[in-house]
Amino acid sequence: MKKIEAIIQPFKLDEVKEALQAIGVEGMTITEVRGHGRQKGHKEVYRGQEYTVDLLPKVKVELVVADSRVDEVTRTVVEAARTGKIGDGKIFVLDVIEAIRIRNDDRGESVL
Amino acid sequence: MSPSGQHLEPALHPFTATADVLTSLAERANQVDRQVAQAADEVLFPTIPDGLALVSVGGYGRRQLFPFSDVDLLLLCKNEEIPLSHKPEISAFLQRLWDVGLRVSQSVRTPEECLAVHDQNTELNISLLDQRFLAGDRPLFAALSKKFPRFVQSNRDALMRNLVRLTRERHTKYADTFYHLEPNVKETPGGLRDLQFVRWMEQLRDADANRLTSPEAPGELRQAFRFLARLRFALHTQSGRDQNQLTFDAQDALADNGEGKDVAAWMREYYRQARAVDRAAQRSLELWDAQSSALFAQFVGWRSRLSNADFSVHRERVHFRTPHQLESDPELVFRLFEFVARHGIRLSHEAVTQLEARLTSLREYFDENRSLWPALNQILTQTHAPMAVRSMHETGVLFALFPVIEQIECLVVRDFYHRYTVDEHTLVAIQNACSAPASYGELLRELPYKGVLLFALLFHDSGKAHSDAAEGYAGHVEASLEAAEAAMRRIRMPAQERDLVSFLIRNHMELSSAMRSRDLADPKAIHDVAQTVCTEDRLKALTLVTYADISAVNPSVMTPWRSSQLWRLYMAVYRELTRELAEERIADSTLGAGADLLEGLPVRYLRTHTEEQIAEHVALAVKSEARGVAIDIRTLESAWQLTVITGDRPGLFAHMAGTLAGFGMNILRAEAFSNRRGQVLDTFVFADPTRTLELNPSEVDRLRTTAERVILGKLDVRELLKNRPKPKPPSRKVRVPTALRFDDEASTTATLVEIVAEDRPGLLYDLASAISTSGGNIEVVLIDTQANRAIDVFYVTVAGRKLTPDDQSAMGEQLRTACSPT
Repeated sequence: MKKIEAIIQPFKLDEVKEALQAIGVEGMTITEVRGHGRQKGHKEVYRGQEYTVDLLPKVKVELVVADSRVDEVTRTVVEAARTGKIGDGKIFVLDVIEAIRIRNDDRGESVL
Repeated sequence: MSPSGQHLEPALHPFTATADVLTSLAERANQVDRQVAQAADEVLFPTIPDGLALVSVGGYGRRQLFPFSDVDLLLLCKNEEIPLSHKPEISAFLQRLWDVGLRVSQSVRTPEECLAVHDQNTELNISLLDQRFLAGDRPLFAALSKKFPRFVQSNRDALMRNLVRLTRERHTKYADTFYHLEPNVKETPGGLRDLQFVRWMEQLRDADANRLTSPEAPGELRQAFRFLARLRFALHTQSGRDQNQLTFDAQDALADNGEGKDVAAWMREYYRQARAVDRAAQRSLELWDAQSSALFAQFVGWRSRLSNADFSVHRERVHFRTPHQLESDPELVFRLFEFVARHGIRLSHEAVTQLEARLTSLREYFDENRSLWPALNQILTQTHAPMAVRSMHETGVLFALFPVIEQIECLVVRDFYHRYTVDEHTLVAIQNACSAPASYGELLRELPYKGVLLFALLFHDSGKAHSDAAEGYAGHVEASLEAAEAAMRRIRMPAQERDLVSFLIRNHMELSSAMRSRDLADPKAIHDVAQTVCTEDRLKALTLVTYADISAVNPSVMTPWRSSQLWRLYMAVYRELTRELAEERIADSTLGAGADLLEGLPVRYLRTHTEEQIAEHVALAVKSEARGVAIDIRTLESAWQLTVITGDRPGLFAHMAGTLAGFGMNILRAEAFSNRRGQVLDTFVFADPTRTLELNPSEVDRLRTTAERVILGKLDVRELLKNRPKPKPPSRKVRVPTALRFDDEASTTATLVEIVAEDRPGLLYDLASAISTSGGNIEVVLIDTQANRAIDVFYVTVAGRKLTPDDQSAMGEQLRTACSPT
């Protein structure tokens, strides 16, 4: 099992969710986060005051999938989230050791 | 699972059952009594023949035991030695009770402990108010029970204080409202705990040395108790545990009695009962506040000085002096709420009752087409407006004024996201708009029409009662618009305000939609939003509405993340709006009569002026043909406005600013536009601090003539300024640091110069002169004042082109010098 962590642009969330649902991935966790890659911050001026925006708002999508689905899922997320511009985000794939369903103690890939 | 299952059957459908809930609760208590006695006889008393009494306290003591609630049992021990030496028996006894399915919540105390005030354990003290002997050492209990009333009476204040504190903490946990979509029937305000609170406060208050009273609840509260008790009973039965939250699922199950009952209507019944309980609890708290502290009493006395001809203030509450005046003068109601809004003092119980008694006649009065907006606006612009609006809502006056809002009273919108009923959401939104923090709060202060903004919020969701769920997200906008427009016509709100309200309601979801689904770094996205809002003022108002609306969904929605997204969007659109000036010009020559003036003016001009105003400007332009200049001066609500149309020439703007400064006027806002024919349209909004113009009408003419002469070159403005009243030296250090910024990207033809500096009379003249003397020509000007900050934006060219870096540094120096106070 692998955990897929995708940091994407906030306005791409709906598209990514729909794309995942379309390939049969239902479970996911969404968090509002801030950060930057090389996009870094920039200064904005409003009424004579400088605002430095160096941590940009993003959305983190986390899901755990079976090994066999990793490629399909990451490709789906990439296609849905891509705009081609700087700031699109990144995806990380991590190993998962165990998955347990709290309701009935099921374990393993069947839980996903 | 529960062995007492068979006793609960009849109560499974409490709203159709004939079983009386009080009987069911008492029966359960009796059953537990038997179980306790039996276990005690078998395990406890054989080894502890005396010195131990079993006492039921709390709800159990009252004989109101719910199917799965805790059983509050007190083990009263003669001394501390007994529990220590009989630990195994006591454990076995409790184990027995657990085994038969009772959730025992036991405490082991000596009589001394029961007759002491426990500040950290108020629950213990309070639970003893309902003590009832079960089994064991009867004389031991009798001794305690005899001393208890005296103990209560002597420590009444401490006990009440602790109980009030506990209750207030609980209320805060539930955001001080009973309008929760999934209320906890025990803990939420308006629930069972509040009912008990009212009863306990009365008991404590009335306690005498010989006995505890058992106060009889008024009919209204008895009815509420029956309703809530049946509800809790059903929730326990349904879930098989101490579940007190009226979840959506539970609501569905309970509302369906086989006839497919309407859940929303059923929940409204809940809120009605909860409201009665909540009121009683609030009154109890008020009574306590009024009696409690000497310092408070002094403060209250001082506030009585706010009394006026119509109202008196007594004990921090507002009273009508002559309530029957309401009959002959219904608009007294507006003055009442204006009083509340101005001073932040709540209505007395009598005033509320008197209002409620006259709601029907008030409703008839308001039903007619009347000019009620000025009075309503007076309320909405005061500091404590949210409190006044809530008060109007609670007393029913709001519904008398706007019957359409009654349809969202206690209206439940079923999604897990929304915490509150629709009407509560509206009230919370109004509160949030007025108490918005930091930068958002500044926006509110800059807007000259807070009343209009709050009115828009009041109606923004009023259409939700009509909206089809199928229409989804935006289904309610049209209905809300209709409701608002009908109301505005009836109260005769002026056209410009109506436009703004309609704009705000129609677009109240635009910004949050953009935040969620558009790329804020994409210029097109920003441009689209800018097209929708059109002007900075509308943008500010809409941003505030959005902020208030989002944060009123539930307390945790407006996260810093979301707040900064909204602010980012606001800044980007603001920049866009102030940048597009020099670009888009009116080119359409189908403008007819006004074409001469309008052609070549920035498109923004059309958006920020009404047809009436444009017509006036066109007429003024015609007038200016004769003498080369035409000036119009008039009063606004709290300021003056000067409009001048003339041919463009160097230093014109500076000269106008100087003329006004020479008369001692303080310029608040200014705009300068030029058209294709080289005509200039300048508008100045200024304040007259010494009221010269107001008190001397001839001065208005003198101002006009002087300005004309300055423009036509017949008078040197510097002469005027020599004699101007010297500004007071700043009595404090300059708080606003001067900020100067040149922006080459903002326009294709001019350089944007933005100056933020400490405002002072004559500043604008000095800045404009500095630009002129540096060789700059002012194309467009936008002046704004924010408290003591002047925010001046100039679009400047030098010799018909943008400023070179050299130009910029030279002009920059001059401008900085101009900013420093002289």
